[in-house]
Amino acid sequence: MVAAFLLASCNQSSEKKGGAEGGGNKLVIGATMLSMQNEFIVNVSDAMEAKAKEMGVELITVDAERSALKQVEQVESFIGQGVDAIIMNPCEVEASSPAIKLAMDAKIPIINVNSETSSKPTAFVGSDDTESARIAMKYIVEKLGGKGNVLMMHGFMGQAAQIRRDNGAKEILKANPGIKLLAEQTGEWDRAKGMSLTENWIQSYGDKINAIFAQNDEMGMGAVKALEAAGLKGKVLVVSVDAIPDALQAVKKGTLDATVFQNAKEQGGKAIETAVKAARKEAFEKEVLIPFQLVTKGNVERF
Amino acid sequence: MTRFSKLGQYGIFLAFALICLVLALSTPKFFTVSNLLIIGNQVSINALLAFGVTFVIITGGIDLSLGSMVAVTGVAAASFAHPDTYPLVVPLLVGLGAGSAMGAFNGLVITKSKVPPFIVTLGTMTIGRGLALILSKGRPVSNLSDSFNFIGGGSVAGIPFPIIILLIAFAVCSIVLNKTILGRYMYAVGGNEPAARASGIRVSRVKMWVYTICGLLSALGGILLTSRITTGQPNAGAGFELDAIAAAIIGGTSTSGGTGTMTGTFIGALLIGVISNSLDLLNVTSYYQQVVMGVIIIGAVVLDGVGKKD
Amino acid sequence: MSDYILRVKEISKSFSGVQALDNIHFDLKKGEVHALMGENGAGKSTFMKILIGLVSPDSGEVLLEGENLVGSNVHQTLKKGISMIHQEILIIPELTVAQNIFLGREREVSGKSGMLSGWLNDAGINQRAATLLDRMGVSIAPKTKMRHLSVAQMQMVEIAKAISNNAKVIIMDEPTSAISDKEVATLFQIIRDLQAQGVSIIYISHKMDEIFRISDTITVLRDGKYMGTRAARDLDHNALIAMMVGREIDQMFPEATRPVGQEILSVHNLGKAGKFSNISFNVKSGEILGLAGLMGAGRTEIARAIFGLDGWDEGEISIKKAPLRARTPREAIERGVGYVSEDRKGLGFIPRMSVKDNITLSSINSHRKGGFIDTHSEQSAAEKMIADLKIKTAGAGQHVTYLSGGNQQKVVIGKVLLASPEIIILDEPTRGVDVGAKFEIYKLIRSLADQGMAIIMISSELPEILGLSDRILVLSKGKQTALLSKAEATQELIMRHAVA
Repeated sequence: MVAAFLLASCNQSSEKKGGAEGGGNKLVIGATMLSMQNEFIVNVSDAMEAKAKEMGVELITVDAERSALKQVEQVESFIGQGVDAIIMNPCEVEASSPAIKLAMDAKIPIINVNSETSSKPTAFVGSDDTESARIAMKYIVEKLGGKGNVLMMHGFMGQAAQIRRDNGAKEILKANPGIKLLAEQTGEWDRAKGMSLTENWIQSYGDKINAIFAQNDEMGMGAVKALEAAGLKGKVLVVSVDAIPDALQAVKKGTLDATVFQNAKEQGGKAIETAVKAARKEAFEKEVLIPFQLVTKGNVERF
Repeated sequence: MTRFSKLGQYGIFLAFALICLVLALSTPKFFTVSNLLIIGNQVSINALLAFGVTFVIITGGIDLSLGSMVAVTGVAAASFAHPDTYPLVVPLLVGLGAGSAMGAFNGLVITKSKVPPFIVTLGTMTIGRGLALILSKGRPVSNLSDSFNFIGGGSVAGIPFPIIILLIAFAVCSIVLNKTILGRYMYAVGGNEPAARASGIRVSRVKMWVYTICGLLSALGGILLTSRITTGQPNAGAGFELDAIAAAIIGGTSTSGGTGTMTGTFIGALLIGVISNSLDLLNVTSYYQQVVMGVIIIGAVVLDGVGKKD
Repeated sequence: MSDYILRVKEISKSFSGVQALDNIHFDLKKGEVHALMGENGAGKSTFMKILIGLVSPDSGEVLLEGENLVGSNVHQTLKKGISMIHQEILIIPELTVAQNIFLGREREVSGKSGMLSGWLNDAGINQRAATLLDRMGVSIAPKTKMRHLSVAQMQMVEIAKAISNNAKVIIMDEPTSAISDKEVATLFQIIRDLQAQGVSIIYISHKMDEIFRISDTITVLRDGKYMGTRAARDLDHNALIAMMVGREIDQMFPEATRPVGQEILSVHNLGKAGKFSNISFNVKSGEILGLAGLMGAGRTEIARAIFGLDGWDEGEISIKKAPLRARTPREAIERGVGYVSEDRKGLGFIPRMSVKDNITLSSINSHRKGGFIDTHSEQSAAEKMIADLKIKTAGAGQHVTYLSGGNQQKVVIGKVLLASPEIIILDEPTRGVDVGAKFEIYKLIRSLADQGMAIIMISSELPEILGLSDRILVLSKGKQTALLSKAEATQELIMRHAVA
């Protein structure tokens, strides 16, 4: 909102004093993150921080607060500071793309972490969101025995993650005509919204609901709360994506049936490794895909 | 109690009844006890905030920091609500105290600095958001005690607890506004501040009260939300202030101050809740929900303006 | 028949059950100045609103050169030739004189067609404005920004605007309320010129002298009814007042019936930088002290200081020998000071609150039961005050906005009285109030003094000051220049000290 602009200039939440002048030949990496209010992103960021420390490079992390414009400006200022490599966790597919070109023109390697942009960066580290939804939906199909009614809860409409997770889920649904999509609606990635939406769905569809697929754990947790209140939890399967600690807890308790683990630690670590290699002009992989893993009660202890 | 402004309120009430009738006819699932209870439940948080902001708007002010206060108070309460740590009153007092303190801070800055409330609360909105992230270290605060989770999730004699809180809050707010000297002074300050001062009213004190009450009600909303979703979320409540202001305006509160009623605001909040509930029932995408809501807000104000002409 | 440019027939209008106008007739000849008289609440403003199309009548006709205007909106009546110069001048201060005159009609002057007609032609506007002002004999440069003009000059611009609209009828609502005598003379000259050009003027004013100086014909309304139309030369002051109020006013200023008592207020060496200095006086129980002086002499500023609305720099104000400390309105009220401001709308009442809520606003603490309001005792206190002051209202729950100016004034006085003051400061208590209501207010002021209150009355009307005051304090440029007793005071003497 407006307030975000007011504070735009003073939210450089760098952990250490930034700048290329710092300490001899120590590498400096600039990182701009989608939003530090998102738990998963914070986890990725923490992993990057840890890895940077381990490898002895300096990391400057800034928060783009979901604004692609701000993100591009942040990359500009990284270039201005003369960092050795840039890691970008893009806000948007298209709108964050200019940042890639800026960095390329300045001959500074730029690595996308977690999600993509339409312009090709030096390297990409992350997971394929489409795959996560495929995994989740396959699990639902399997559990329902190929027959039943499903509801889908979307994230913010139009965001890359929502589009991909939608595509992945629809792909599986298409292949399994026995599964019917009763309704789909956005829960805006939000737990309270997911809960309200589920309450309203229960009013509409009641006993007809066999499973709910929520595109993230927050909404999935909301769905679980609503189903529990209506005494339907035992009858309806709930699967979501991200494997946040709350969701893992719920899987352990058996209230959430499954979630899909996206490895934040691995993404963060690999992003730093790749950035360091690129900066030192060593060989590196252009695309590092971290696989998703399905988390169920059976294997939850490992996460 | 012969208030002329009640006339405009009947219009809102009629519109609300009409919309309910249309919905009841278009889906049999709308007018059921369980669905009405769900609507009451879903409406409760927004209504609490709307009550608070109604006080503020009546005095001619505005509070944009409601949503952030929801987040701060929610996180603060959740931090003290883990099982087997503190008795239930501790998280409640911490949450309500934090909200009142933030509201009082708004009031203090507004009355001492003479900076417009819009700007002051725009500032505290961002400060609050930051505080919530600092308190929670950017992560949701979960694992809350059952007694705490009862507030937003439990029910008494079949009635969800949030609805009970909502009705009590409505009664108290109505009484404060209509039956107390403070309430009378709110109308006076918003209706004509210099004249209120010249009538011997301590305008600053009235404003301090109003913003503090608004903070307190936001805290109540924050605690309800946290308990309902069983986590204190630092990014919770974003945009809540706009829904609350919308409810007040739909209910006939004038943004220029001096008029407004709690009943109107209550109906405004119900209207918003009913519409989003029923559009979900009818499986209408949220894009249309937003358009509908906007049309209703403008429509309400236009109607209000027409009703006030001589 | 063709003599008349405007004929109004059998106009009636009621608002939520209250008959504002009842079967009104009004005939306006071409080129005449026709005064419309009546007390506040007589229906003049509703009548004007109907003429300009702001309000639509319930029945009747408004014929402008035979064409019925009922149903036309403000914009249409303006185009057809009826312009109104409002009491509160409606201008945009940041635009120039010329831009204000042609506001909303820039296209007429753009002199271009098609796409280009959207472009401004400031040169053209300035030229036309210059011609216009020249013809009126007014020396105002068209390029001057409005905010640099005096009130009188702004009025001239409004008149120029009306003329440029080819107005056939110009309505002037209290045009001289804020301008000096010299400017009044200029205004009257312009009115005479307009008359000579065949423009008709409807002139509304409370100032009798002006009415007889300028108007040819006088129509009187009372309580929404038509009282008759007379040639101005057939009427005199008293006959006109009788028509307006329905009775002769023989005794305007009631005499005191009790001697003054002990001192209530004393002001000692009071000073405030740039406003006033060295002010010392006292007021006693049962006494009316008149504060006379020209505009800007510091009268209102002293009143505001006593009431705690503004602070002061030096000196002391005491109520019954004990000095004021907090210097806030609240303290003043608690110590028994009441203030009825000249600025009724700004400082007096709260328009969106009911008569009852306004009247009890300063004394609501005396109707408390715990933290709650004792509605019964509040209601009866309000109703008693409404009856005592003869406030004309549909009920205690009526919003103050709907009352006439005189009744709004009474609501403010009622509020002050309910706070049980020992001293009341009345700042221009009869401004904008008509003759009949003035007399009532004089009676009220005297009776308050007779009940033992001390009164300070600020007024710019010398007859009022002379008639009512027991003593008169004259101020000039923030200094106190004379303190006269009733016996020695004359208009000439007061004026001499006021300009000293």
